[in-house]
Amino acid sequence: MNAQTDIGRIDIKEAEVTFKSPGGDRVEALAATDLVIDPGSFVSLIGPSGCGKSTMLNAVGGFVPLTSGVIELDGEPVKGINPDVGVVFQQYALFPWFTALGNVMFALKRFKISKQERLERAYAALKEVGLEGRERTYPGQLSGGMRQRVALARVFVTSPKVLLMDEPFGALDAQTRVAMHEILLRIWEAHRTTVLFVTHDVDEALILSDCAHIMSAGPGRIIETMDVKQERPRHVDNIGPDFLEARNHIIRLLRQPGGKDH
Amino acid sequence: MSEVLKKIGQLVISLTGVVIIWSLFANSGFISQKLFPTPGQILRAAIDLYQDGVLMSDLQISLTRAAVGFSIGASLGIALGLLTARVKVVSVALEPFLNLLRPIPAIALVPVAIVWFGIGEGSKYFVISYTVFLAVWLNTHAGASDVASTYIRAARSLGASKTREFFEVIIPASAPMIFVGLRLGAALAFLSLVAAELSGASSGIGFRLQDARQFIRTDRMFVGLIQLGILGALLDAAFAYLGRRLVHWENA
Repeated sequence: MNAQTDIGRIDIKEAEVTFKSPGGDRVEALAATDLVIDPGSFVSLIGPSGCGKSTMLNAVGGFVPLTSGVIELDGEPVKGINPDVGVVFQQYALFPWFTALGNVMFALKRFKISKQERLERAYAALKEVGLEGRERTYPGQLSGGMRQRVALARVFVTSPKVLLMDEPFGALDAQTRVAMHEILLRIWEAHRTTVLFVTHDVDEALILSDCAHIMSAGPGRIIETMDVKQERPRHVDNIGPDFLEARNHIIRLLRQPGGKDH
Repeated sequence: MSEVLKKIGQLVISLTGVVIIWSLFANSGFISQKLFPTPGQILRAAIDLYQDGVLMSDLQISLTRAAVGFSIGASLGIALGLLTARVKVVSVALEPFLNLLRPIPAIALVPVAIVWFGIGEGSKYFVISYTVFLAVWLNTHAGASDVASTYIRAARSLGASKTREFFEVIIPASAPMIFVGLRLGAALAFLSLVAAELSGASSGIGFRLQDARQFIRTDRMFVGLIQLGILGALLDAAFAYLGRRLVHWENA
Protein backbone atom coordinates (compact mmCIF):
# COMPACT_ATOMS: atom_id res chain seq x y z
CA MET A 1 0.00 0.00 0.00
CA ASN A 2 2.83 2.35 0.87
CA ALA A 3 4.86 1.47 -2.19
CA GLN A 4 7.09 4.29 -3.45
CA THR A 5 5.60 6.79 -1.05
CA ASP A 6 7.04 8.74 1.80
CA ILE A 7 4.88 7.17 4.46
CA GLY A 8 6.60 5.39 7.30
CA ARG A 9 9.68 7.47 8.01
CA ILE A 10 11.10 7.16 11.51
CA ASP A 11 13.36 9.89 12.93
CA ILE A 12 15.06 9.02 16.17
CA LYS A 13 16.69 12.14 17.64
CA GLU A 14 18.88 12.00 20.72
CA ALA A 15 16.54 9.38 22.11
CA GLU A 16 17.57 8.14 25.53
CA VAL A 17 15.91 5.68 27.88
CA THR A 18 17.00 5.11 31.47
CA PHE A 19 15.34 2.81 33.97
CA LYS A 20 15.55 2.56 37.70
CA SER A 21 16.78 -0.90 38.62
CA PRO A 22 15.08 -2.69 41.55
CA GLY A 23 18.15 -1.74 43.60
CA GLY A 24 17.49 1.95 42.85
CA ASP A 25 20.42 2.38 40.43
CA ARG A 26 19.96 4.20 37.15
CA VAL A 27 20.35 1.85 34.22
CA GLU A 28 20.98 3.38 30.83
CA ALA A 29 19.03 0.99 28.60
CA LEU A 30 19.56 3.19 25.58
CA ALA A 31 22.19 5.93 25.39
CA ALA A 32 21.31 9.03 23.36
CA THR A 33 20.83 7.70 19.85
CA ASP A 34 20.27 9.30 16.47
CA LEU A 35 18.85 7.22 13.68
CA VAL A 36 16.82 7.80 10.53
CA ILE A 37 14.84 4.96 9.04
CA ASP A 38 13.73 5.53 5.46
CA PRO A 39 10.16 4.87 4.40
CA GLY A 40 9.66 1.36 3.10
CA SER A 41 13.01 0.05 4.25
CA PHE A 42 13.69 -3.10 6.23
CA VAL A 43 16.02 -2.32 9.12
CA SER A 44 17.36 -4.71 11.74
CA LEU A 45 18.67 -4.04 15.21
CA ILE A 46 21.04 -6.78 16.25
CA GLY A 47 22.96 -7.40 19.41
CA PRO A 48 23.14 -9.38 22.64
CA SER A 49 20.55 -9.15 25.41
CA GLY A 50 20.74 -5.85 27.25
CA CYS A 51 22.01 -3.89 24.26
CA GLY A 52 18.87 -1.77 24.10
CA LYS A 53 17.47 -3.17 20.87
CA SER A 54 14.10 -4.05 22.36
CA THR A 55 14.08 -0.80 24.32
CA MET A 56 14.53 1.17 21.11
CA LEU A 57 11.75 -0.79 19.45
CA ASN A 58 9.46 -0.32 22.43
CA ALA A 59 10.18 3.40 22.42
CA VAL A 60 9.25 3.66 18.74
CA GLY A 61 6.06 1.73 19.53
CA GLY A 62 5.21 4.09 22.37
CA PHE A 63 5.35 1.29 24.94
CA VAL A 64 8.30 2.83 26.76
CA PRO A 65 8.60 6.58 27.36
CA LEU A 66 11.84 8.34 26.43
CA THR A 67 13.90 9.89 29.20
CA SER A 68 15.03 12.55 26.75
CA GLY A 69 15.06 13.20 23.02
CA VAL A 70 12.27 12.56 20.56
CA ILE A 71 11.11 9.95 18.09
CA GLU A 72 9.07 11.12 15.12
CA LEU A 73 6.92 9.08 12.84
CA ASP A 74 6.40 10.99 9.58
CA GLY A 75 7.22 14.17 11.47
CA GLU A 76 4.78 13.50 14.32
CA PRO A 77 6.34 12.86 17.73
CA VAL A 78 5.51 9.43 19.20
CA LYS A 79 3.44 10.06 22.34
CA GLY A 80 2.08 6.63 23.10
CA ILE A 81 0.73 3.52 21.51
CA ASN A 82 -0.41 4.27 17.99
CA PRO A 83 -2.41 1.87 15.81
CA ASP A 84 -0.54 3.12 12.73
CA VAL A 85 2.42 1.24 14.14
CA GLY A 86 1.93 -2.51 13.84
CA VAL A 87 3.69 -4.81 16.28
CA VAL A 88 4.57 -8.49 16.09
CA PHE A 89 5.61 -9.54 19.57
CA GLN A 90 8.28 -11.85 20.86
CA GLN A 91 5.88 -14.08 22.75
CA TYR A 92 2.76 -15.13 20.99
CA ALA A 93 0.39 -12.28 21.58
CA LEU A 94 -2.50 -13.83 19.69
CA PHE A 95 -5.69 -13.92 21.72
CA PRO A 96 -6.21 -17.62 22.46
CA TRP A 97 -9.95 -17.09 22.99
CA PHE A 98 -10.44 -15.96 19.39
CA THR A 99 -9.98 -18.07 16.27
CA ALA A 100 -7.35 -17.15 13.68
CA LEU A 101 -10.10 -15.22 11.88
CA GLY A 102 -11.27 -13.61 15.13
CA ASN A 103 -7.75 -12.38 15.82
CA VAL A 104 -7.49 -10.75 12.40
CA MET A 105 -11.00 -9.32 12.71
CA PHE A 106 -9.99 -7.78 16.04
CA ALA A 107 -7.52 -5.56 14.18
CA LEU A 108 -10.15 -4.48 11.65
CA LYS A 109 -12.82 -3.43 14.15
CA ARG A 110 -11.52 0.11 14.46
CA PHE A 111 -12.24 0.79 10.80
CA LYS A 112 -15.65 2.05 9.80
CA ILE A 113 -16.29 -0.56 7.15
CA SER A 114 -19.03 -3.14 6.78
CA LYS A 115 -18.78 -6.52 8.49
CA GLN A 116 -18.78 -8.09 5.04
CA GLU A 117 -15.76 -6.07 3.98
CA ARG A 118 -13.98 -6.86 7.23
CA LEU A 119 -14.54 -10.55 6.69
CA GLU A 120 -13.29 -10.34 3.12
CA ARG A 121 -10.14 -8.53 4.15
CA ALA A 122 -9.51 -10.91 7.04
CA TYR A 123 -9.91 -13.97 4.82
CA ALA A 124 -7.61 -12.41 2.22
CA ALA A 125 -4.96 -11.63 4.87
CA LEU A 126 -5.01 -15.20 6.16
CA LYS A 127 -4.77 -16.48 2.62
CA GLU A 128 -1.77 -14.24 2.03
CA VAL A 129 0.12 -15.97 4.84
CA GLY A 130 -0.92 -19.40 3.59
CA LEU A 131 -3.54 -20.19 6.21
CA GLU A 132 -6.48 -20.73 3.90
CA GLY A 133 -8.79 -23.30 5.46
CA ARG A 134 -7.46 -22.61 8.98
CA GLU A 135 -9.58 -19.51 9.59
CA ARG A 136 -11.74 -21.11 12.26
CA THR A 137 -8.87 -22.72 14.15
CA TYR A 138 -7.90 -21.52 17.62
CA PRO A 139 -4.25 -20.52 18.20
CA GLY A 140 -3.86 -23.38 20.68
CA GLN A 141 -4.37 -25.84 17.85
CA LEU A 142 -1.84 -24.20 15.53
CA SER A 143 1.91 -24.79 15.39
CA GLY A 144 4.30 -22.04 16.48
CA GLY A 145 5.01 -21.06 12.88
CA MET A 146 1.32 -20.90 12.00
CA ARG A 147 0.61 -18.74 15.05
CA GLN A 148 3.21 -16.21 13.94
CA ARG A 149 1.68 -16.29 10.48
CA VAL A 150 -1.65 -15.34 12.06
CA ALA A 151 0.20 -12.57 13.90
CA LEU A 152 1.60 -11.36 10.55
CA ALA A 153 -1.85 -11.43 8.96
CA ARG A 154 -3.31 -9.57 11.95
CA VAL A 155 -0.78 -6.80 11.64
CA PHE A 156 -0.53 -6.48 7.83
CA VAL A 157 -4.31 -6.48 7.36
CA THR A 158 -4.49 -2.88 8.61
CA SER A 159 -1.61 -1.71 6.37
CA PRO A 160 0.30 0.01 9.20
CA LYS A 161 2.78 2.77 8.36
CA VAL A 162 5.49 1.05 10.32
CA LEU A 163 5.89 -2.52 11.48
CA LEU A 164 7.86 -3.36 14.62
CA MET A 165 8.99 -6.95 15.11
CA ASP A 166 10.61 -8.04 18.35
CA GLU A 167 12.41 -11.36 17.79
CA PRO A 168 9.22 -12.72 16.29
CA PHE A 169 10.76 -16.00 15.16
CA GLY A 170 13.05 -16.57 18.13
CA ALA A 171 11.01 -19.47 19.47
CA LEU A 172 10.76 -21.33 16.16
CA ASP A 173 12.94 -24.17 14.89
CA ALA A 174 15.46 -23.42 12.13
CA GLN A 175 13.40 -24.79 9.24
CA THR A 176 10.20 -23.05 10.26
CA ARG A 177 12.17 -19.87 10.69
CA VAL A 178 13.45 -20.03 7.10
CA ALA A 179 9.88 -20.56 5.88
CA MET A 180 8.74 -17.56 7.95
CA HIS A 181 11.48 -15.39 6.44
CA GLU A 182 10.20 -16.19 2.97
CA ILE A 183 6.61 -15.41 3.90
CA LEU A 184 7.60 -12.18 5.63
CA LEU A 185 9.72 -10.98 2.70
CA ARG A 186 6.99 -11.85 0.21
CA ILE A 187 4.39 -9.84 2.14
CA TRP A 188 6.81 -7.01 2.84
CA GLU A 189 7.67 -6.72 -0.84
CA ALA A 190 3.96 -6.48 -1.63
CA HIS A 191 3.18 -3.87 1.06
CA ARG A 192 6.53 -2.07 1.44
CA THR A 193 5.80 -1.14 5.02
CA THR A 194 8.78 0.22 6.93
CA VAL A 195 10.00 -2.64 9.14
CA LEU A 196 12.09 -2.35 12.27
CA PHE A 197 13.20 -5.84 13.17
CA VAL A 198 14.92 -6.84 16.40
CA THR A 199 16.93 -10.05 16.52
CA HIS A 200 20.05 -11.59 17.99
CA ASP A 201 20.44 -13.89 14.99
CA VAL A 202 23.02 -12.50 12.54
CA ASP A 203 21.89 -14.64 9.60
CA GLU A 204 18.30 -13.58 10.11
CA ALA A 205 19.24 -9.89 10.11
CA LEU A 206 21.29 -10.24 6.92
CA ILE A 207 18.73 -12.32 5.03
CA LEU A 208 15.93 -9.90 5.78
CA SER A 209 17.26 -6.37 5.97
CA ASP A 210 18.43 -3.52 3.80
CA CYS A 211 20.42 -2.25 6.71
CA ALA A 212 21.55 -3.74 10.03
CA HIS A 213 22.48 -1.73 13.10
CA ILE A 214 24.80 -3.63 15.40
CA MET A 215 24.28 -2.76 19.04
CA SER A 216 26.19 -3.29 22.23
CA ALA A 217 25.33 -3.26 25.93
CA GLY A 218 26.34 -1.08 28.86
CA PRO A 219 24.98 1.43 27.90
CA GLY A 220 22.83 0.21 25.04
CA ARG A 221 23.97 1.88 21.82
CA ILE A 222 24.60 1.38 18.11
CA ILE A 223 28.25 0.52 17.48
CA GLU A 224 28.11 0.03 13.73
CA THR A 225 25.72 0.28 10.83
CA MET A 226 25.98 -2.00 7.86
CA ASP A 227 24.13 -1.84 4.54
CA VAL A 228 23.29 -5.25 3.17
CA LYS A 229 24.05 -5.26 -0.55
CA GLN A 230 22.76 -8.71 -1.44
CA GLU A 231 20.16 -8.62 -4.27
CA ARG A 232 16.53 -9.43 -3.53
CA PRO A 233 14.79 -11.82 -3.55
CA ARG A 234 17.17 -13.54 -1.19
CA HIS A 235 17.32 -17.15 -0.11
CA VAL A 236 19.43 -19.01 2.40
CA ASP A 237 20.57 -21.28 -0.43
CA ASN A 238 22.15 -18.55 -2.58
CA ILE A 239 24.40 -16.77 -0.14
CA GLY A 240 27.27 -14.92 -1.79
CA PRO A 241 30.78 -14.11 -0.51
CA ASP A 242 29.67 -10.57 0.47
CA PHE A 243 27.11 -12.05 2.77
CA LEU A 244 29.62 -14.34 4.44
CA GLU A 245 32.06 -11.52 4.91
CA ALA A 246 29.41 -9.32 6.46
CA ARG A 247 28.33 -12.15 8.70
CA ASN A 248 31.83 -12.84 9.98
CA HIS A 249 32.42 -9.15 10.53
CA ILE A 250 29.27 -8.78 12.64
CA ILE A 251 30.04 -11.89 14.67
CA ARG A 252 33.53 -10.55 15.42
CA LEU A 253 32.03 -7.21 16.43
CA LEU A 254 29.56 -8.87 18.77
CA ARG A 255 32.39 -10.87 20.36
CA GLN A 256 34.35 -7.75 21.30
CA PRO A 257 34.62 -6.95 25.01
CA GLY A 258 32.17 -4.05 24.64
CA GLY A 259 29.40 -6.42 23.65
CA LYS A 260 29.33 -9.42 25.92
CA ASP A 261 27.94 -12.71 24.67
CA HIS A 262 24.57 -13.64 26.11
CA MET B 1 -16.22 -42.33 26.39
CA SER B 2 -14.17 -45.27 27.69
CA GLU B 3 -12.58 -42.78 30.11
CA VAL B 4 -16.02 -42.03 31.53
CA LEU B 5 -16.86 -45.73 31.80
CA LYS B 6 -13.56 -46.35 33.56
CA LYS B 7 -14.31 -43.60 36.07
CA ILE B 8 -17.81 -44.94 36.69
CA GLY B 9 -16.35 -48.41 37.15
CA GLN B 10 -13.87 -47.15 39.72
CA LEU B 11 -16.62 -45.30 41.55
CA VAL B 12 -18.81 -48.43 41.68
CA ILE B 13 -15.94 -50.57 42.99
CA SER B 14 -14.96 -48.02 45.61
CA LEU B 15 -18.55 -47.47 46.80
CA THR B 16 -19.27 -51.22 46.94
CA GLY B 17 -16.19 -51.68 49.09
CA VAL B 18 -17.24 -48.91 51.46
CA VAL B 19 -20.80 -50.27 51.77
CA ILE B 20 -19.50 -53.81 52.51
CA ILE B 21 -17.07 -52.65 55.20
CA TRP B 22 -19.73 -50.34 56.61
CA SER B 23 -22.25 -53.21 56.79
CA LEU B 24 -19.76 -55.52 58.48
CA PHE B 25 -18.91 -52.86 61.04
CA ALA B 26 -22.51 -51.78 61.71
CA ASN B 27 -23.60 -55.43 62.07
CA SER B 28 -20.62 -56.46 64.20
CA GLY B 29 -22.27 -55.46 67.48
CA PHE B 30 -19.30 -53.34 68.58
CA ILE B 31 -21.42 -50.26 68.38
CA SER B 32 -25.14 -49.61 68.72
CA GLN B 33 -27.00 -49.42 65.43
CA LYS B 34 -28.82 -46.47 66.94
CA LEU B 35 -25.53 -44.56 66.68
CA PHE B 36 -24.14 -46.20 63.56
CA PRO B 37 -26.93 -47.47 61.29
CA THR B 38 -26.45 -50.11 58.62
CA PRO B 39 -26.63 -49.15 54.93
CA GLY B 40 -29.99 -50.94 54.79
CA GLN B 41 -31.41 -48.79 57.60
CA ILE B 42 -30.17 -45.64 55.90
CA LEU B 43 -31.82 -46.71 52.65
CA ARG B 44 -35.09 -47.37 54.49
CA ALA B 45 -34.90 -43.95 56.16
CA ALA B 46 -34.35 -42.38 52.74
CA ILE B 47 -37.40 -44.19 51.33
CA ASP B 48 -39.51 -43.07 54.33
CA LEU B 49 -38.43 -39.46 53.88
CA TYR B 50 -39.14 -39.71 50.18
CA GLN B 51 -42.62 -41.10 50.79
CA ASP B 52 -43.33 -38.32 53.27
CA GLY B 53 -42.42 -35.90 50.47
CA VAL B 54 -39.80 -34.30 52.71
CA LEU B 55 -36.76 -35.62 50.86
CA MET B 56 -37.65 -33.91 47.58
CA SER B 57 -39.00 -30.71 49.13
CA ASP B 58 -35.87 -30.32 51.31
CA LEU B 59 -33.73 -30.88 48.26
CA GLN B 60 -35.67 -28.33 46.26
CA ILE B 61 -35.64 -25.74 49.05
CA SER B 62 -31.93 -26.13 49.75
CA LEU B 63 -31.00 -26.09 46.07
CA THR B 64 -33.05 -22.94 45.50
CA ARG B 65 -31.34 -21.20 48.42
CA ALA B 66 -27.93 -22.25 47.17
CA ALA B 67 -28.76 -21.17 43.62
CA VAL B 68 -30.14 -17.76 44.60
CA GLY B 69 -27.31 -17.06 47.04
CA PHE B 70 -24.74 -18.27 44.52
CA SER B 71 -26.13 -16.13 41.71
CA ILE B 72 -26.13 -12.96 43.80
CA GLY B 73 -22.68 -13.60 45.26
CA ALA B 74 -21.12 -14.70 41.97
CA SER B 75 -22.44 -11.75 39.94
CA LEU B 76 -21.28 -9.25 42.54
CA GLY B 77 -17.96 -11.07 42.89
CA ILE B 78 -17.21 -11.04 39.16
CA ALA B 79 -18.28 -7.42 38.70
CA LEU B 80 -16.37 -6.11 41.69
CA GLY B 81 -13.35 -8.34 41.03
CA LEU B 82 -12.96 -6.87 37.55
CA LEU B 83 -13.36 -3.36 38.93
CA THR B 84 -10.94 -3.69 41.85
CA ALA B 85 -8.38 -5.23 39.50
CA ARG B 86 -8.64 -2.69 36.69
CA VAL B 87 -9.98 0.56 38.12
CA LYS B 88 -7.60 2.31 40.47
CA VAL B 89 -10.24 4.31 42.37
CA VAL B 90 -12.34 1.25 43.13
CA SER B 91 -9.31 -0.74 44.16
CA VAL B 92 -8.10 1.93 46.57
CA ALA B 93 -11.58 2.30 48.04
CA LEU B 94 -12.56 -1.34 48.40
CA GLU B 95 -9.62 -3.71 48.37
CA PRO B 96 -8.43 -3.15 51.96
CA PHE B 97 -11.99 -3.46 53.24
CA LEU B 98 -12.66 -6.66 51.31
CA ASN B 99 -9.39 -8.14 52.51
CA LEU B 100 -10.51 -7.45 56.09
CA LEU B 101 -13.79 -9.24 55.43
CA ARG B 102 -12.08 -12.35 54.10
CA PRO B 103 -11.09 -13.94 57.42
CA ILE B 104 -14.65 -13.69 58.83
CA PRO B 105 -16.18 -17.16 58.47
CA ALA B 106 -19.68 -17.37 57.03
CA ILE B 107 -20.92 -19.25 60.09
CA ALA B 108 -20.08 -16.25 62.25
CA LEU B 109 -22.48 -14.21 60.15
CA VAL B 110 -25.46 -16.50 60.76
CA PRO B 111 -26.56 -14.80 64.04
CA VAL B 112 -26.24 -11.36 62.45
CA ALA B 113 -28.14 -12.51 59.39
CA ILE B 114 -30.96 -13.87 61.53
CA VAL B 115 -31.28 -10.58 63.40
CA TRP B 116 -31.24 -8.62 60.16
CA PHE B 117 -33.34 -10.83 57.94
CA GLY B 118 -35.22 -13.17 60.29
CA ILE B 119 -35.20 -16.93 59.92
CA GLY B 120 -36.78 -16.75 56.46
CA GLU B 121 -35.06 -17.00 53.13
CA GLY B 122 -33.37 -13.59 53.40
CA SER B 123 -30.84 -14.69 56.01
CA LYS B 124 -29.94 -17.78 53.98
CA TYR B 125 -29.41 -15.77 50.82
CA PHE B 126 -27.31 -13.29 52.73
CA VAL B 127 -24.96 -15.83 54.30
CA ILE B 128 -24.57 -17.85 51.10
CA SER B 129 -24.05 -14.91 48.80
CA TYR B 130 -21.53 -13.39 51.20
CA THR B 131 -19.41 -16.56 51.14
CA VAL B 132 -19.68 -17.01 47.38
CA PHE B 133 -18.98 -13.35 46.78
CA LEU B 134 -15.66 -13.39 48.64
CA ALA B 135 -14.39 -16.50 46.85
CA VAL B 136 -15.42 -15.26 43.41
CA TRP B 137 -14.20 -11.72 44.04
CA LEU B 138 -10.77 -12.88 45.22
CA ASN B 139 -10.18 -15.14 42.22
CA THR B 140 -11.60 -12.71 39.67
CA HIS B 141 -9.46 -9.97 41.13
CA ALA B 142 -6.34 -12.14 40.94
CA GLY B 143 -7.11 -13.18 37.36
CA ALA B 144 -7.91 -9.69 36.12
CA SER B 145 -4.89 -8.14 37.86
CA ASP B 146 -2.59 -10.61 36.21
CA VAL B 147 -3.55 -10.29 32.53
CA ALA B 148 -0.38 -10.73 30.44
CA SER B 149 0.91 -7.30 29.38
CA THR B 150 1.47 -8.61 25.84
CA TYR B 151 -2.29 -9.05 25.43
CA ILE B 152 -2.93 -5.50 26.56
CA ARG B 153 -0.14 -4.08 24.41
CA ALA B 154 -1.40 -6.08 21.44
CA ALA B 155 -4.96 -4.84 21.96
CA ARG B 156 -3.88 -1.21 22.24
CA SER B 157 -1.51 -1.35 19.30
CA LEU B 158 -4.37 -2.82 17.26
CA GLY B 159 -6.38 0.28 18.08
CA ALA B 160 -8.87 -1.27 20.53
CA SER B 161 -10.84 1.20 22.65
CA LYS B 162 -10.86 0.90 26.45
CA THR B 163 -14.29 -0.72 26.26
CA ARG B 164 -13.17 -3.30 23.73
CA GLU B 165 -10.01 -3.93 25.70
CA PHE B 166 -12.16 -4.65 28.76
CA PHE B 167 -14.71 -6.92 27.13
CA GLU B 168 -12.61 -8.64 24.48
CA VAL B 169 -9.29 -8.96 26.31
CA ILE B 170 -9.48 -8.45 30.09
CA ILE B 171 -12.61 -10.55 30.63
CA PRO B 172 -11.60 -13.56 28.49
CA ALA B 173 -8.05 -13.42 29.86
CA SER B 174 -9.46 -13.53 33.40
CA ALA B 175 -12.03 -16.20 32.57
CA PRO B 176 -9.92 -19.17 33.73
CA MET B 177 -9.50 -17.64 37.19
CA ILE B 178 -13.15 -16.54 37.28
CA PHE B 179 -14.07 -20.18 36.78
CA VAL B 180 -11.75 -21.28 39.56
CA GLY B 181 -13.63 -18.81 41.77
CA LEU B 182 -17.05 -20.01 40.63
CA ARG B 183 -16.17 -23.64 41.27
CA LEU B 184 -14.84 -22.83 44.72
CA GLY B 185 -17.86 -20.60 45.32
CA ALA B 186 -20.24 -23.44 44.46
CA ALA B 187 -18.57 -25.68 47.04
CA LEU B 188 -18.65 -22.89 49.64
CA ALA B 189 -22.30 -22.17 48.84
CA PHE B 190 -23.12 -25.61 50.17
CA LEU B 191 -20.98 -25.17 53.22
CA SER B 192 -22.66 -21.92 54.20
CA LEU B 193 -26.09 -23.23 53.17
CA VAL B 194 -25.81 -25.97 55.77
CA ALA B 195 -24.39 -23.55 58.32
CA ALA B 196 -27.38 -21.27 57.80
CA GLU B 197 -29.91 -24.09 57.87
CA LEU B 198 -28.51 -25.77 60.97
CA SER B 199 -29.51 -22.82 63.09
CA GLY B 200 -32.67 -20.97 62.36
CA ALA B 201 -34.48 -22.78 59.60
CA SER B 202 -37.67 -24.78 59.32
CA SER B 203 -36.90 -26.61 56.10
CA GLY B 204 -34.01 -27.76 53.95
CA ILE B 205 -31.36 -30.41 54.25
CA GLY B 206 -29.53 -28.66 57.10
CA PHE B 207 -32.77 -28.28 59.05
CA ARG B 208 -33.53 -31.99 58.51
CA LEU B 209 -30.12 -32.89 59.96
CA GLN B 210 -30.80 -30.79 63.04
CA ASP B 211 -34.31 -32.18 63.30
CA ALA B 212 -32.99 -35.75 63.17
CA ARG B 213 -30.62 -34.94 66.02
CA GLN B 214 -33.56 -34.06 68.29
CA PHE B 215 -34.87 -37.59 67.87
CA ILE B 216 -31.44 -39.23 67.64
CA ARG B 217 -32.33 -40.52 64.15
CA THR B 218 -28.80 -41.23 62.98
CA ASP B 219 -30.16 -43.01 59.91
CA ARG B 220 -31.89 -39.80 58.79
CA MET B 221 -28.77 -37.77 59.48
CA PHE B 222 -26.82 -40.03 57.14
CA VAL B 223 -29.47 -39.56 54.47
CA GLY B 224 -28.87 -35.81 54.71
CA LEU B 225 -25.11 -36.21 54.64
CA ILE B 226 -25.25 -38.46 51.59
CA GLN B 227 -27.59 -36.02 49.85
CA LEU B 228 -25.10 -33.21 50.47
CA GLY B 229 -22.22 -35.34 49.25
CA ILE B 230 -23.93 -36.31 46.01
CA LEU B 231 -25.16 -32.79 45.33
CA GLY B 232 -21.75 -31.28 45.97
CA ALA B 233 -19.97 -33.80 43.76
CA LEU B 234 -22.46 -33.35 40.90
CA LEU B 235 -22.24 -29.60 41.12
CA ASP B 236 -18.47 -29.64 41.13
CA ALA B 237 -18.40 -31.93 38.10
CA ALA B 238 -20.88 -29.67 36.33
CA PHE B 239 -18.73 -26.61 36.98
CA ALA B 240 -15.57 -28.41 35.89
CA TYR B 241 -17.32 -29.41 32.65
CA LEU B 242 -18.68 -25.93 32.06
CA GLY B 243 -15.25 -24.45 32.71
CA ARG B 244 -13.61 -26.77 30.21
CA ARG B 245 -16.19 -25.86 27.57
CA LEU B 246 -16.24 -22.11 28.09
CA VAL B 247 -12.52 -21.64 28.73
CA HIS B 248 -11.58 -24.21 26.09
CA TRP B 249 -8.32 -22.48 25.12
CA GLU B 250 -6.80 -23.08 28.56
CA ASN B 251 -6.31 -26.82 28.03
CA ALA B 252 -5.70 -26.74 24.30
